[in-house]
Amino acid sequence: MQSQTLLLALVTLPGTVFLLLGLTWLLGAQPSEKHISRLTKLTYAALACIVATLGWQMVTQDLSRVQLTLGAWFHVGDYTFPLSFMVDRLSLPIVGVTVILVGLVGAFSVSYLHRDPGFLRFFLLLHLFAFGALLVFCADSLDLLIGGWEIVGITSVLLISFFQYRPEPVRNALRVFGTYRIADLFMLVAVFLAHHEFHTASWNGLFTGEWPSHVTQLTGTGASIIAVLLVFAASGKAAQGPFCGWLARAMEGPTPSSAIFYGAISVHAGPYLLLRIEPLIRTSAIATGLVIFIGITTAMLSTMIHRTCADAKTSLAYASQTQLGIIFVEIGLGWTTLALIHIIGHAAVRTMQILRTPSMLRDHHRIHAAAGGQLDPTGEHYESLLPKPVQIALYRIALGRGFYDALVDRFLIAPAQALARLLARLEPVWVKPSATSSRQPAETPGALTQILTQPKA
Amino acid sequence: MGVFVHHNTLHAFQHLRFEEAVLEAGCLFGAEPYLSEQTYQEERARGRILDIDVDAVLDREPDAEILPGRLTRRQLRRALLIPGVRRVNGRNIAWHVEEGDLLDRFRPDLDATASRALASDSPTALWRVCLQRLHPAEPPTPPRPRRPHEALMAARGVDLDSIVHPPLIRLVGAYLDQGVAYWPMPLREEGLLKASRKIMGQPLSVYRAHLAKIGDEFSAQTVQGMDAEKTVLAMLKRLGVPEAEWEEYLTAELTALPGWAGMVRVLEVEPTLAPHDRVRCSLMEFLALRLTYTVVALEDIQGDAKAWRSMPARSITHDPLAHQARLYDAAQLLGLSSAILRELPLSQFEALCHELEACHEFERRRLLHLAYERRHERQILIPIARHRALPQMKSETDRLAAQTIFCIDEREESIRRALEEVDPAIETHGAAGFFGVAIDYAGIDDAGGVSLCPVVVKPAHVVREVPVEDASRVDRRRQSLRRAWAKIVRNSFISTRTLVRGSLSTAFFGFLTLFPMALRLLSPLAYARLMKRLNAIFLPEPRTELAFARDDDASRDATTGLMQGFSVQEMADRIANVLGPIGLKKAHARLVVVIGHGSTSLNNPYESAYCCGACGGRSGAPNARLFALMANRPAVREDLRVRKGILIPEDTWFLGAYHDTCNDNIDYFDVDLMPESHHGDLARVQQSLDAARTLSAHERTRRFASASPFFSPEQGLRHVQERAENLGEPRPEYGHCTNAVAFVGRRETTRGLFFDRRAFLVGYDATQDLEDKALAAVLGAVIPVCGGISLEYYFSTVDNEAYGSGTKLPHNITGLIGVMNGYQGDLRTGLPLQTVEIHEPVRILFIVETTPERVLRVIQANPLLTEFLEQGWIRLAAMDPENGSIQVYRGQGSFEPLVGDEEPLPVAPNSKAYYSGKMEHLPVARIDPQLSRAA
Repeated sequence: MQSQTLLLALVTLPGTVFLLLGLTWLLGAQPSEKHISRLTKLTYAALACIVATLGWQMVTQDLSRVQLTLGAWFHVGDYTFPLSFMVDRLSLPIVGVTVILVGLVGAFSVSYLHRDPGFLRFFLLLHLFAFGALLVFCADSLDLLIGGWEIVGITSVLLISFFQYRPEPVRNALRVFGTYRIADLFMLVAVFLAHHEFHTASWNGLFTGEWPSHVTQLTGTGASIIAVLLVFAASGKAAQGPFCGWLARAMEGPTPSSAIFYGAISVHAGPYLLLRIEPLIRTSAIATGLVIFIGITTAMLSTMIHRTCADAKTSLAYASQTQLGIIFVEIGLGWTTLALIHIIGHAAVRTMQILRTPSMLRDHHRIHAAAGGQLDPTGEHYESLLPKPVQIALYRIALGRGFYDALVDRFLIAPAQALARLLARLEPVWVKPSATSSRQPAETPGALTQILTQPKA
Repeated sequence: MGVFVHHNTLHAFQHLRFEEAVLEAGCLFGAEPYLSEQTYQEERARGRILDIDVDAVLDREPDAEILPGRLTRRQLRRALLIPGVRRVNGRNIAWHVEEGDLLDRFRPDLDATASRALASDSPTALWRVCLQRLHPAEPPTPPRPRRPHEALMAARGVDLDSIVHPPLIRLVGAYLDQGVAYWPMPLREEGLLKASRKIMGQPLSVYRAHLAKIGDEFSAQTVQGMDAEKTVLAMLKRLGVPEAEWEEYLTAELTALPGWAGMVRVLEVEPTLAPHDRVRCSLMEFLALRLTYTVVALEDIQGDAKAWRSMPARSITHDPLAHQARLYDAAQLLGLSSAILRELPLSQFEALCHELEACHEFERRRLLHLAYERRHERQILIPIARHRALPQMKSETDRLAAQTIFCIDEREESIRRALEEVDPAIETHGAAGFFGVAIDYAGIDDAGGVSLCPVVVKPAHVVREVPVEDASRVDRRRQSLRRAWAKIVRNSFISTRTLVRGSLSTAFFGFLTLFPMALRLLSPLAYARLMKRLNAIFLPEPRTELAFARDDDASRDATTGLMQGFSVQEMADRIANVLGPIGLKKAHARLVVVIGHGSTSLNNPYESAYCCGACGGRSGAPNARLFALMANRPAVREDLRVRKGILIPEDTWFLGAYHDTCNDNIDYFDVDLMPESHHGDLARVQQSLDAARTLSAHERTRRFASASPFFSPEQGLRHVQERAENLGEPRPEYGHCTNAVAFVGRRETTRGLFFDRRAFLVGYDATQDLEDKALAAVLGAVIPVCGGISLEYYFSTVDNEAYGSGTKLPHNITGLIGVMNGYQGDLRTGLPLQTVEIHEPVRILFIVETTPERVLRVIQANPLLTEFLEQGWIRLAAMDPENGSIQVYRGQGSFEPLVGDEEPLPVAPNSKAYYSGKMEHLPVARIDPQLSRAA
């Protein structure tokens, strides 16, 4: 088959499955678990075959990239929105890992979510996420990438709040959503700037040559600003630097979605973006420095926090954050191939580890017994190398999660809420209040208490 | 979670009557006492509750006349239960009146009398009378807040718990951690309070909103040298709680985070329960920490920590409309027309309204629950009585092919039945799965000794598994390889998570993990087989034996106070304690197989809830093996004959075995010790057990929606084996789910009955126990154990969020001691949704095969059992061993004979034919192989 056709099938297949399931649902039919599970397995087996064929064709025909241009979606004045896809030596491995891991997590979830009322919802979101992720990795321009980027973001948030009847998941999902919104602003501005400065946001326009030896002709302040903005956008997805607090909160969802999003694919979309725009970063000393700085500080802080986490999932979240920091540093230093290998290896390891968290007790006891009841103590070098006051100070920082939440709550959210309250108070002054008032039907909470406190008849 | 064993969730309320306790506890924990009214009404609609049950329940309640000559309390309540009231409350009443059809027409489901009485009446007229005559009293003044959280939530919408809990959970979690964190909390040796003060009070800290002063507060406490108790007292003073209310207030604060507080308390009382690191725990320190955070946050929000005392807890809404609508609804059900209602004298009208309010939702649910349990009772007892009246199913051979002793566990019911179906010449018996041997045991692969006995018992005897002499080389090799394996796995566990090692290992080896992962997730069984093969090649198991004999009388270990093994007399006592009650005193078969059980599964933080409850939530395999070895000793048999009058024939051989209730594997122990003359017997038993476990596994699959109803027995076995190995399987087995009955009596009585894996079968022969000593021992063990299991399932089912642990899917193991939801929450207690989803919440029904007088005497001699019975935590029936007549216990020492025969006893030629294609709970049936032979 034609490589282009394969590429089109690759990107659209999960989206089609999502639409199919979603439409069936909207039309009132409830697809059975068995059908969903078969469809999922079939889809990802097909996708894996497509990726393998694409890879085979690229190797045998010595193609460095496969490109598919479907023309433009729309024109507005000078601006056209290109519908153009591309896989090259950077995206193909990541696409391969994505397809395999989503497929495996899908297989896991079929039994894990069996009989859960949200079974269909979960798989809808999983397919939509796969579509978004493949769009990110196969997009040929920033304009299209942003679409996938947002799909990945929104499915991520919806899966964190999967247990929507409990307040905690919803609260944390909202927090992650807020973080994503702020980080995505950087990306939007970067796209505007790219169009403004260079009249293009497609990879072809921005770079020449093939990854990993592609270069950019663009220089100057504009390019530098765009690079910095995109670094921040990537940091948001990868929970780095100024956005380093949300990854642990994202562990509220079902285990498999935590695995695929925060162990594997979603968080690695950040480094992918950086790898893609690496020449742009290279030309700007500020951007290069920023990537390394963000990576190194996040890695140092996260590894310290990780070491004090007492629960399985938070611990893994910070361990992921540590490795993502290192990947940032590798990209900053220009070791792009290493970074790619690291992304793939890390995604595989982390997915499996998160999937295994429910079995952690058993695993630990097995190791404990096999070791003869004595496990080597960990963390001793902290105790031997550092003076006691330093130890406690470091532990305090780690236990406070680097004070990230405290700082954000008190110096960002609280002022924003104060402002909102002020505006709310001013609103009746500026806007005439409407006359209707709706009757608030009363609840009967604590009916049991009332009955018990009533004198007995 | 190492010793997660079932017990009554409301253990602390057990001194109250069940029906009071569920309400009180419900109030304290904010939990539901029963299933919802709607659920019971659905059960009524599908025939699980019959109208006669409701009538019978109401007949047992006190009656009174409400409207002289027209209405009694019973009639009123019956009308409210059948067809049931409409749900109106403050939330939906306005809609019902304005938008719904409440006033358009009368209810369509009224009975004939009521609709005739209302024929000439109009809904609006009736509604108007209700509005005119009923003026509900203003509700009492809003209750005082039990703790500041409630006051703040009501007054300002500020969630105090969301400020206090995160740092508290993080501190306690880190403090109790048993080895998840790479870097354990420093200063743990100083205790939770001091460590927290020093760590949290670090000068460079940035505190979360409203907690800015916590550092200063902690330093001040340190300077003043306040211990936990002083701190709590000081905080109580600052909170303005008077001494008389301390207990109530502290209880309210502790139940705000019941999981963590409970864990601290448990580890304070029993530090050895901590799986790895024993940390000094103190509930007082936990309280001191909690109150300090509460006070600091309160002072920051309100400027005054006492102000909450004078604030209302919540605004109670006065909603007369809902009360009037209830009267309107009841009047229709009772056929009281507007004219009658208008003319009622005031006193009668008030009495009517009062009765109506008294039969509130919780009262109706209580009555419906009793009716629900009554139907269950009759669905069990009547078929048993019918079965008893039919010819007994006994094997007609001179000597049995074998006898088997299983655990009483209801999950063994199906395999016992299957075994008897497959080979009628095999008898099955039931005894508590530790088989009377309470031991501290360590196998060759175990790190240290664990207690294998019910949790209330402390073992006094040590038993160790050791390699036989010529296998010690194999063992050494095995252990050193296991050590090496542990080192590698442990290192890779740590090194994939840290900074430098992590980047090297994830970058260069990470990709390789894909392949085993893919195999494991796509074909769990193939992966398990591969691992087994590799294990057999690289880690061959040495032949082992148990070291359990002791020659001298009482040599105790100086440090542990435990005795090495058992003396001959001790062994004989234990054998007699098991064989005596079940009536195996002579004429044993040539082979007696003693089968312990356990459960192995992946993806299961609740593993010990699935193992043997009588072995402290562990596997009962060593107990079975030990029991068989002891019973085979000639000296023990001699002692049994002389002192206990138990005659074990010389050619009888005892064999230990182990049944895994999750994957239905059966392993046999010490087959090599068996004399050659018995190999033929073993081959037959093995063959029968293999067939039985396959059938039993198939029977289990009928409950699993993911298994096909068209499976062959072999496919069923494969299915359950795959479940056990599947990483993503939250229901490897259903555990004790669906348990509902415990039959204490002879197997002959129940043999051939299909109990749907819902009955504990305890072997007991009253005809051989004239002094009721065995009965006292048996009931003393099984009532607390089975009662506890049943109640835990009851509460986890009626309110899975408050009493159970909710859905398993977002669970997160913390500190190796428990699970919480998401990334920081309370420790979850109780059973997860996936374990109880098909449970029928009824109190367990004990059927004891003896006379009412005898069972009552035995129970009344034991205060714990009396509490269980008299306060209604269990149900009881006695079955006469001579004539089979059944008497049901009705409280206050009185029994009531079972009458009526509305429940049939279905008959089927085999179990598979009976359950095939059905997923729901199945009524008791008689499995009669004669049927198929006759046909």
